[in-house]
Amino acid sequence: MTPPPATPIANPEPLSPEQDSKINRDILAVMSKPTLGYWMCLGTALFLMHLAGAIWVYQVYIGLGIGGYTHPLFWGAYIVTFVFWVGIAHAGTLISAILYLFRAKWRNAINRGAEAMTVFAVLTAAQFLGIHVGRMWKSYFILPYPNQRGLWVNFKSPLMWDTFAISTYATISIVFFYIGLIPDLAIARDRAKGWRKFLYTAMALGWQGTSIQWKSHSRSVLHLSGLATPLVLSVHSVVSWDFAASIVPGWHATIFAPYFVAGAIFSGFAMVLTVLIPVRRIYGLEAYITNYHFDNMCRFILLTSIIVSYAYATEYFIAWYSGVEFEKTSFYLRAFGPYWISTWIMIICNGVIPQVFWSKRARTHIPTIFVVATFINIGMWFERYVIIITGLSREYDPAVWGIYIPSFAELGIVAGSFGFFCTLFLIFLKLFPVIAIAEVKELAIHEKAHAGVR
Amino acid sequence: MPSILGIYDQPDPLVDVIKRLKNRGFDNLEVYSPAPFAEIDDAVIEKPSGVRIWTLIGGLVGAFTGFFITIWMSNDWPIMIGGKPMSSIPPYVIISFELTVLFGGLMTLFGFLKVGKLPYGKFGVHDKAYSSRFSSEEFGLVVDCEDRDVAEVDALLRAHAAKEVSLVEA
Repeated sequence: MTPPPATPIANPEPLSPEQDSKINRDILAVMSKPTLGYWMCLGTALFLMHLAGAIWVYQVYIGLGIGGYTHPLFWGAYIVTFVFWVGIAHAGTLISAILYLFRAKWRNAINRGAEAMTVFAVLTAAQFLGIHVGRMWKSYFILPYPNQRGLWVNFKSPLMWDTFAISTYATISIVFFYIGLIPDLAIARDRAKGWRKFLYTAMALGWQGTSIQWKSHSRSVLHLSGLATPLVLSVHSVVSWDFAASIVPGWHATIFAPYFVAGAIFSGFAMVLTVLIPVRRIYGLEAYITNYHFDNMCRFILLTSIIVSYAYATEYFIAWYSGVEFEKTSFYLRAFGPYWISTWIMIICNGVIPQVFWSKRARTHIPTIFVVATFINIGMWFERYVIIITGLSREYDPAVWGIYIPSFAELGIVAGSFGFFCTLFLIFLKLFPVIAIAEVKELAIHEKAHAGVR
Repeated sequence: MPSILGIYDQPDPLVDVIKRLKNRGFDNLEVYSPAPFAEIDDAVIEKPSGVRIWTLIGGLVGAFTGFFITIWMSNDWPIMIGGKPMSSIPPYVIISFELTVLFGGLMTLFGFLKVGKLPYGKFGVHDKAYSSRFSSEEFGLVVDCEDRDVAEVDALLRAHAAKEVSLVEA
């Protein structure tokens, strides 16, 4: 028997908003018209950013003298903040690349937000390379370009490795972010109107979710994850070698690379939590970012906190065990010298406070997580401050010891970097889906398919 | 040549029907999927994705470039630094590694676009059968067939739990 012939239609009926997938509606709702609170946050962020811009213009005109630099300290708050932001950037790639390779499906709800943070944090960090040099208009000298002087850059310098590492990291995280975004841009395109429709149509590249598109997409994400995993480990290692390849007491240590990488992941997860907790609360994404995700992230924080604490202990032990007078003095003065406050803030915020995450209740209690994450952010900024400032201020010869106190200009630019980061993130929030819709849907459809089985 | 569109809720029956259709010789299939499902993509396109060769070439070119520029530039204007040899490999491994990742990653992007045939179509114009339902939670399967096979394809799609079957006007 032949079945009845199919009904010919030009196009299948498009969905009305009510029929649309709940996941689409919930997540795209974040991009709806901004509220007054949003504008106030954006305004504050923009104010800080412009304040820093004004200070920076003044600094270009006057010179680095407006900073608190004093002999022998010529690396100050700018480099501290540079390392801080590079560290923040690491969580995104860890979540999107390493957890992808480990097939940790819980990453799906948080990877987009974390990847966006990675991109914005790298962009913020990269600015400090230009901000902290004198005669910034000559900062392009760091690139190996053919020139009339016939000179080339010094590839044996860690600062040169840093240039390559940071620019590669910025490029790869933007590529990763964009490729992941394409399917979601298509979802947004199918539902948008006006200028948004134009923007998403252009950016989605005609994505329709066909097999060839998904197949090359999955394969590219896999390859990029494979490339980004060693990259993320290399970037902060290279940043640590900026210090470790010198002979400054307190810097010249082989533990620096793993120590910095663990610290970067630690601070990155803390920043992801600091950013996502308010977003989840304000935009009602509780169904997507659940206690399960917070539990897992807090476990990561606990693990990396232990690694970082172990590194602190090792540094002190080796300073004593080496028997080198300069190392011993340097570390003694870290804890009991002029910068003792920073050191104890670092140890308490990074080593002691995160230990509350041994308790399951703390790992799922949102206010606790938020407070601990904030302490970690502060602690990790101070960790870099301790490493950089105490190391330089107490080198070999007591005759050239010095004290550095950050000036208001430097602190203004540091605050502005937070403004810059927040500005980008707030714009991202209204422009692109903050949760990877297609990936969340993948899990939802799987669950629907096997609902009867379990 | 008419094409028939079946709409599905679940990936599993869709994979079954794709395999059946392929066995029956209907090779001209297109699936619209809201999320990545490797089993569907592998059923439609059996060959592994060609992105791999792009990444490989990018990575190899990057690794070579890294060593080439460092060694050549150090010797082009020889300046002794820290008593190290002109072509000192350990620090150059770092540059070479970063360029491996950089070139590999960029070539992956280009490979993704080339292999995935993106950008696809004219600006803002979709396939006839495509609709926003397939960026919601439904799957679409489009089968191109001869006039005389319409009834058979129709029956196959319905037998595998298609929610709706319709004829897309050519």
